[in-house]
Amino acid sequence: MSENPLIERSPSHANEARVAPEAGGVKQTLQLLLLQGGPLIALVLLSIYLSFASPHFFTVSNWVNIVRQTAITAILAVGQTLVIISAGIDLSVAAIAALSASVSAVLMTQQIQVGALLIGPVNFWVGLLIALAVGTLAGFINGLIITRGRIPDFIATLGTLAMYRGIALLVTDGLPVPSHLTATELGGYLPEPLIWLGGGNILGIPVAGLVALAMGILGWFILRYTALGRAIFAVGGNREAARVSGINLDRTKIATYTLAGFMAAVAGVVLTGRLNSANALMGEGEELRSIASVVIGGTNLFGGEGGVVGSLTGALIMGVLGNGLNLLNVSAFWQRVIQGLVIILVVVFDQWRRRRFTA
Amino acid sequence: MASAPLLRMEQIDKRFPGVHALDHVDFDLYEGEVHVLLGENGAGKSTLMKILTGLLPKDSGRIFIRGQEVRELNPEQAQALGIAMVYQELSLVPSLSVAENIFLGRLPRNRLGMVDWPETYRHARQTLADLGVQIDPQAQVRQLDVAEQQLTEIARILAKQPKILLLDEPTSALSDTERERLFKIIQRLRARGVGIVYISHHLAEIPLIGQRVTVLRDGRLIGTLPVQQADEESLVRMMVGRQLTEQFPKHTAESGQSLLRVENLSLEGRLHNLSFELHKGEILGIFGLMGAGQPELARALFGLNPRGAGQIYVQGRPVHIRQPADAIRHGLGFLTRDRRASLVPMLPIPPNVTMAGLAQAPLLGLLNLSKEEETAGRYVRELRIQPPALNRRVIYLSGGNQQKVILSRWLSSQAKILIFDEPTRGIDVGAKAEVFSLMNRLAEQGAGIIMISSEMPELLAMAGRILVMRAGRFTAEYERSQASQEKLLRSAS
Repeated sequence: MSENPLIERSPSHANEARVAPEAGGVKQTLQLLLLQGGPLIALVLLSIYLSFASPHFFTVSNWVNIVRQTAITAILAVGQTLVIISAGIDLSVAAIAALSASVSAVLMTQQIQVGALLIGPVNFWVGLLIALAVGTLAGFINGLIITRGRIPDFIATLGTLAMYRGIALLVTDGLPVPSHLTATELGGYLPEPLIWLGGGNILGIPVAGLVALAMGILGWFILRYTALGRAIFAVGGNREAARVSGINLDRTKIATYTLAGFMAAVAGVVLTGRLNSANALMGEGEELRSIASVVIGGTNLFGGEGGVVGSLTGALIMGVLGNGLNLLNVSAFWQRVIQGLVIILVVVFDQWRRRRFTA
Repeated sequence: MASAPLLRMEQIDKRFPGVHALDHVDFDLYEGEVHVLLGENGAGKSTLMKILTGLLPKDSGRIFIRGQEVRELNPEQAQALGIAMVYQELSLVPSLSVAENIFLGRLPRNRLGMVDWPETYRHARQTLADLGVQIDPQAQVRQLDVAEQQLTEIARILAKQPKILLLDEPTSALSDTERERLFKIIQRLRARGVGIVYISHHLAEIPLIGQRVTVLRDGRLIGTLPVQQADEESLVRMMVGRQLTEQFPKHTAESGQSLLRVENLSLEGRLHNLSFELHKGEILGIFGLMGAGQPELARALFGLNPRGAGQIYVQGRPVHIRQPADAIRHGLGFLTRDRRASLVPMLPIPPNVTMAGLAQAPLLGLLNLSKEEETAGRYVRELRIQPPALNRRVIYLSGGNQQKVILSRWLSSQAKILIFDEPTRGIDVGAKAEVFSLMNRLAEQGAGIIMISSEMPELLAMAGRILVMRAGRFTAEYERSQASQEKLLRSAS
């Protein structure tokens, strides 16, 4: 499936518009599947192989496990998809997740004195709002730095990656939250709903996975049906053309990074719930996994084309692979090697089929 | 010409998915000959040339060079055989210097194996001087304007001393004097026995430069004839398969009230106190040689040059245009001189058509996709965009059809003041005629059009009034009845 607006829509139009009426409908469908469903095919093949290789793989409990583990990467990947389609890159998503999680976890478990004001411990809903606000603000700042400072996205978010982690360390004093100190002093534990968000189930489906799905739908909807989504494709596809068409480049960029920050905060909250704890260094390396998911999912790293569905599939491929290697007792060191290799192979395959089928 | 031809292509056939790009085409070229290749966009000229340069494999057919059959042809072999091509789309590296581009991949070395810079620059200066152009070999290519880039590209190809030279619309970005110079160079190459394939949309150029003309249409060879027998009318008929009664539909609408008034528009160092008025139903021509400031004027009007000073009135009301969104809101539309600067290549036709509407929409405003498709479908039919596939990425459309997509954008945005910067650059006769009749229709419907062009015949035929620019100033204004090519040239230089 592609997020490219209007591709494959309205069969009536497509039919009357076909250039040369070639017979092989089946062949065309296959081509389209191979062209658009590359990552999905990879996921299915990988799953089939693992089902034969390990008796534990194709079980409900294992899939619940995979979904829970993949949710964080998937949520980050949704925001990352928007950014990459706009021809940017956000290295700070995992840092934003950790920062917003840390700030809200601290406020949910401790009493903080700001000037003469005593704040907290706040309840879950306030904590959630604070986390989302922090993440959104952090993303907004990314956008501001890139557009006002006129510096490359890569550099800007490399800088804020370090800054946000640093602020998170300051906020938490470098300790996990709740730590044994705060927990005994104030009796502060994380609120139940938060833990449910990370570890609970609805009808046997992990809540974290549902959150990821909801974020995926949100991202898909924005890309396909809103002016912002269209502007993201336009700016990423051809900056100059977007500018000449009256699209405000800076506003688009800032909005995109703000959305990525918001999604990162959601990921941070879910991760806190899963770990039953927040810390400043949580989710390290997740920014790279999110980028890998997006690229595996077929989104063009140079912008202008791609979509959320591919990225979610990409995140699942990474999750299934890690899970499968665990089940097969592959050592953690080798897992890293294999995961890196898979990223390269999938993208090599992706480039090949693009060249092959888009003449 | 009795000896074996320098190049013979027999029954070349090539299919792409859904298109028969070349249908058993024959083509040959003799030493010292300029063979003009004509055809509308999508007729198969580029495909034929790509096969000759080894960029595309042929499906069937045979290629002979000096009577020897060449079975396999890849870009390296083509180069070794002395086949070189100047592309319409420039293939320069913008961040490198002119000299580096000219000798890309084969910079002169000294005895230590290091790049011999003095020799590189000397040689580059020599090559450029042969072309008769004044370009600093040390300048970065991105700082050159389009014409200078095109000349650099030509210099780069000539430095390879090709035996078979393919020129794809080499004059589309050149002024008349530069074109003259290029023609002189071509004569010199002919005298050295180089065979030249010359692709052009300029019918008027053909008798000046060519010996034979071959016309392709829809991938088929329509005919090859000596240039003496190739009058414009029959060529056009061969190209489009129908007779175009008038290349320039005459526009007669009376101009009405003021749509746009510009007072003292200035841009430091580039534009100086430009004042003019555009009326309802008027086509206002702006003529100037390369570098006279026409593109800057267009960009300043459209808010792409925010540092411009001056006052702009739209329908009598003063407006501030700081960015393109402002211009669009006030009813301006802008057809850029480089089509690539207006289109998002990976997106299909509908989003490219409706793009100007995004500026006024709130960020999270919802798109009406079915209406968008309907709008695009209407323009595709009305402007006869080929192929009429709405889901096709615009990168796969030919130049003329891409131009129509951009036109559709400004038609659908209800622009009343249209700035057309070189609207016929690189499009074929058929598409040109369509663009012209569309311009007339728009003017009749009450739009005002600023037509910036370096094609004097087109300006003289289309514009009711022509302003001439030189060095960022207006130097003359002519009514259509008083204007002539001589007068325009005199005022411009």
